[in-house]
Amino acid sequence: MNAPLLRVDRASREFGSGRTLVRAVADVSFATERGEVTLIMGPSGSGKTTLLSMIGGILRPTSGRVVIDELDITSLRRRELPRVRRELVGFVFQTFNLLESLSALENVEIALNIAGVTGFAAEERAHALLREAGLEQRLHFNAQALSAGERQRVALARALANEPRLLLADEPTANLDSDAGHDVMALLRGLTESKGHAAVVVSHDPRLREVADRVLWLADGRLTSAEPESRVRPSASVGSPTPTTLPTLVLGP
Amino acid sequence: MVPLARRNLLSEKARFAMSIAGVAFAVLLILIVVSLYRGWSDVGRFYEQLPGDVWVAQPGTSDPFHSTSFLPLADAQRLGNVKGVKTVIPVYARHIAFGEHGHELDVFAMALAVPRTAGAQPRTYEPSAGTIAIDGMLASQAHVGVGDSLRVLGRPLVVASVHSGGNSIFQTAFLNAADARALFGIDELANFLLVDVVPGAQVPAVAAALRRALPGTETHTSEQFATSFADRVNAGFLAVVGVLVAIGFVVGGAVIALTTYTATVERAREFGVLKAIGASGGFLYRIVVRQSLIVGVLGAAIGIAASVAATRLIRSGVPEFIAVLRPLDATGVFVVAILMAIAASYVPVRRINRIDPAEVFRA
Repeated sequence: MNAPLLRVDRASREFGSGRTLVRAVADVSFATERGEVTLIMGPSGSGKTTLLSMIGGILRPTSGRVVIDELDITSLRRRELPRVRRELVGFVFQTFNLLESLSALENVEIALNIAGVTGFAAEERAHALLREAGLEQRLHFNAQALSAGERQRVALARALANEPRLLLADEPTANLDSDAGHDVMALLRGLTESKGHAAVVVSHDPRLREVADRVLWLADGRLTSAEPESRVRPSASVGSPTPTTLPTLVLGP
Repeated sequence: MVPLARRNLLSEKARFAMSIAGVAFAVLLILIVVSLYRGWSDVGRFYEQLPGDVWVAQPGTSDPFHSTSFLPLADAQRLGNVKGVKTVIPVYARHIAFGEHGHELDVFAMALAVPRTAGAQPRTYEPSAGTIAIDGMLASQAHVGVGDSLRVLGRPLVVASVHSGGNSIFQTAFLNAADARALFGIDELANFLLVDVVPGAQVPAVAAALRRALPGTETHTSEQFATSFADRVNAGFLAVVGVLVAIGFVVGGAVIALTTYTATVERAREFGVLKAIGASGGFLYRIVVRQSLIVGVLGAAIGIAASVAATRLIRSGVPEFIAVLRPLDATGVFVVAILMAIAASYVPVRRINRIDPAEVFRA
C-alpha cells in the first residue's frame, strides 16, 4: 500500500511563553492521499491557517511532524524550506496575492522563474496553465484589471506552475461571489483529480463540502471530528469537471 | 525572466523619473567639478607647448608661474657649448598687474629670446618690438583685440595677436624679449634658460651636463614644470574637489537607496508572497539589486550625457572656467555609480529579510 501523500503527525504550534502562551494548534494528526481534497473547517481563531502554514513549511511546528511525499519537512533546516514551498507545495490565498504590477501570464511565469524555469519554457507552461484555467483571453491583462474570480484562477494556475504534490488553499472562496467561488472550487477539484496531487483547503464556507473528499473539524487548535467520505462530495452537483472541460465553464466576473 | 524590478519601478512613474533625475544631477555635479579640476590641473601643459626641452633655473624653483629665478644672461653662452645643446633661449617671466577699463588685471607675462632663423615665420611667443600677444581670456577681460593698445608697466603695447587659452586663474601674454628686459629692468639677467636639445640626444644626460657646466643651478623638463603646476593645483583644490565628489556620491547613493527602499516597502506584501511560494533569498535580492541598478545605470548614463553637454556649454559660454571631461573620469564615475547602486540595495535587502511569509495569510 502506498504511503499517504501528506501525513501530519501530532503537530502542535505554540506562540508566546509563560502566561502569554497560546497553543494555536494542538496534537493534530491526519493524512491525505493523492487525488484527495481535504477540507478543514472551523471557527475563526481555531488554528486553521496556522495548521496550513505548518503543512506548507512557512511555520515550524513546536512539536510533531509534517511529512510530504515521504519527506519530513520538519526535519529540514530553515534555508531548505523555500525549496519545499516551490517544489512540493502550491499555495492559494484568500486575497489571491497576485503581484499587481504583473500581467496574468507573468504572475504564473514568475513562480516558474523562482524554480529556475525561464524564457520560452516558462512562458509556454504559464500559457498552458492559464488556458486550462479558462483565462486564454486574459493572459496579458494586468492583475488589477481582472475580476475576483479570474484573479483566483490565476492564483490557482500559479500554485500549480511547478507541479506541486500538494495544493494548499486558505479560504479560497472568501472573497468571491457564489458563482465565482463555485467555479474556482470546481476547477480545484478537477485539477486535483487529473494531476494526481492532493489538496488541503481551509475554509468557513460550508458549500465547499461539496467538492471535498472529507472534512476535518478544528476547534481551539484540536481536530474534533472527521466526516466520512461518503457524507461529502456529491460530485455530480459540481459537474465533476475534467481539465478538458474546465475552459468551457461559465465563470463569474 | 519576468521583469519584476522594472515593473515595480514603473508602477510609480513620477517617482521613478525623479529618482533618475536625482542620480543624473548628482553625476552631473560630480563630473562638472572633476572636469573643472582637470582643466585647472592641465593648465601647466602650457610649458610643454614652448620650444625647448630643459629649463635651467636657480635652486628652489617650482615652475615659472609659482616662483621666480634669476640667472646671469652670460650663462646662456656657457650652456651653448655643452654637448647635446642645440640652442639656449633666455626666458623672462613675471606676473604683471595693470589696470584696463577700470579692471585690475593680472597677467603672467613671458618673453622668449628665441634666436632668429632666417626666413622663419615668428611664432605667437615671438612678438615684434612694441607689441604684445595675449590670450583670449585676457583680451575678453581687458576688452581689447588685435590692433588695440594695452598700457603695460607704463608703456603702451599694441596687441599683435590673440591666442586661444587663458582661464579664471591663469592668463598669459608674450612680450618681445628686448621689451621685456627693458620693462622688467633686468638687462644682464634672465629668469630662466630654456635649452633645446639636439635631436637624438638623451635629455637626462644633457640635463646632467648642464648642471655640471653651471654649478648652483637646477634643471627641470617642461613636463616636470607641468607636473609641478598640477601638484600645486592639487594641493589647493584636491581636498575641496574630494569633498564635493563625495557629497555627490552620497546624494546619488541616498536617492537610489530611498527609491529602492520605498519600492521595496510598498511591495513588502508581494515580496512576502514570493517568499511564501518558495523564492530564495538570492532571487529576492536580485530583484532589489536590479531595481537599484536600473536607477543607478540610467541616472549615471543621463548624468554623463548631460556632463558632456554642460562642459561644451562651459567652454563656449564661460571660457574662464576650463572644463575637461576625460573619458576615463566619466567611466570611473559610471563604475562608482554602479557600485553605489549595489551598496544602496543593502538596506532594502535587510528589509526583505525581515518580511515574514506567514503574513501573506492575513486578509
